[in-house]
Amino acid sequence: MTALLETKGIWQRFGGLVANSDVSISVGRGEIVGLIGPNGAGKSTLFNLIAGVYTPSQGSIIFDGEDVTRLSAAERCERGVGRTFQVVKSFETMTVIDNVIVGALIRTTVMREARRKAYEVLEFCGLAARANVLASQLIPSEKRRLEVARALATEPKLLLLDEVLTGLTPIEAQTGVELVRKARATGVTVLMVEHVMEIVMPLVDRAIVLDLGKVLVEGKPTDVVRDPKVISAYLGDRHAVGA
Amino acid sequence: MDTAFAQRRRRDLIVAGIFAVIAALVPLFVKDVYVQNIMVLTLMYAALSQSWNILSGYCGQISLGHALYFGLGAYTTALLFTKFGVLPWFGMLGGGLISAAIAMALGYPCFRLRGHYFVIATIVIAETALLLFQNWDWAGAALGIDIPVRGDSWLKFQFVRSKLPYFYFALALACVAWLVTWWLEDSKWGYWWRAVKDNPDAAESLGVVVFNSKMGAAAVSAFLTAIGGGFYAQFVSYIDPESVMGFQFSLLMALPAVLGGIGTLWGPVLGAVILIPLTELTRSFIGGSGRGVDLIVYGTLIVLISLARPEGLVGLFSPRRKEAAR
Repeated sequence: MTALLETKGIWQRFGGLVANSDVSISVGRGEIVGLIGPNGAGKSTLFNLIAGVYTPSQGSIIFDGEDVTRLSAAERCERGVGRTFQVVKSFETMTVIDNVIVGALIRTTVMREARRKAYEVLEFCGLAARANVLASQLIPSEKRRLEVARALATEPKLLLLDEVLTGLTPIEAQTGVELVRKARATGVTVLMVEHVMEIVMPLVDRAIVLDLGKVLVEGKPTDVVRDPKVISAYLGDRHAVGA
Repeated sequence: MDTAFAQRRRRDLIVAGIFAVIAALVPLFVKDVYVQNIMVLTLMYAALSQSWNILSGYCGQISLGHALYFGLGAYTTALLFTKFGVLPWFGMLGGGLISAAIAMALGYPCFRLRGHYFVIATIVIAETALLLFQNWDWAGAALGIDIPVRGDSWLKFQFVRSKLPYFYFALALACVAWLVTWWLEDSKWGYWWRAVKDNPDAAESLGVVVFNSKMGAAAVSAFLTAIGGGFYAQFVSYIDPESVMGFQFSLLMALPAVLGGIGTLWGPVLGAVILIPLTELTRSFIGGSGRGVDLIVYGTLIVLISLARPEGLVGLFSPRRKEAAR
């Protein structure tokens, strides 16, 4: 079975700064993959390259058998890449359901159909009760769920989650984890960036650790957390020697 | 919940229908030509502001250069008629199409600008066009164009004895602009535009082609504005650059929407109904030397509205939208 997403030798430079150097990763269909690493490791850059915000300086991105390296974010969305934003970007003057309808409209132009689909997704994400509230009135954890709902409404094959669980209370985070599992159960592949390892490790099938713009380690979450290289990247060499 | 939404849309439509019928009956009771004149202008600005609202209110691309499209509509209609004998009906349509094309041609570079930079570009372009028309001899330069009026004719859309035909055309135009907005509000374009206004990056990630959305909004908005301009040329039967392309028209299209509620269906109508009679009346009461007074009125109203109801006057009628225009 071919991978759903593959990056081949991605380089991304911002002026003199090399944010990603020779990053090659792949995400299989139906997987939940965690992209982790310390601050400044290049996670967000790689994430945005896959979502289509930037075009890489070098290398290519293959999605669902197609080279999407040069496609815009909107074109990738049409092909089945859905994403959330680390700093939530709700449409604040629109109601919750209208936010989701914007996403649903990529698959249908019939308004009745889009509205029905949006409502379904809101129910799936546990936001149906807030459908007619303005997005600006949601509490932070609801805004995160709205980000996910909006992305799911585009019927993605690959869902890119950018720190959706960070900064939530343990209960909220648990609800988030269940939502991601539920989404995967419907056949969506998930690639999630997370900073906090404890939350994601039980959730993901596979973890990819980035450090200083390179892939440091990848493998089963239980192996990754014990890897001395990972520990040293997160905590410094002294601790790695101790471990 | 789906039905609640459909009900609100239907209610808007019924209310608009009732208003239109009432407006259509007013001339039966109001025979005063001066008052009829104000009503024509009120309806015209309601239509213009509704058109402006499509680009600036819904799509969030604030234009202070819509006088350009208004003037293009007026000039196309007047020039085609006086130079080539083309009937104003086709002139207005032609003006609309030309304006839509120019709006897209200008949008191509300008929509890369964001926020204040876009606003400044719209002002500069409209002012440049004004200067061009002031120096374009074939189009009458600064002297303008006199449209010869030879009695009442629906074919030539000119009327001497009564203002009523103009009134009904202006009413029809206002209704069309409102209906277009009403229809667009619950369409893919309407949602895309509001998404672009609120957050272009998020919109792009959801498959919205931001650039094309802005182009579409600009084209529809410019088209309707130019029809209004063509109508105005026929209504006053004399145009010169300053009187159809001056900056005050850009303001007069934006202000009713701002006053009534920017990016709302009813805002422009409500704003025009309050603003236009008020400024016309103050202007006539104060008399000839009071040329700046209407501007003082605008200024005062804007200050009051931004202090008391930043979301516009429609906020008085629907509490649900209170936060909407924050």
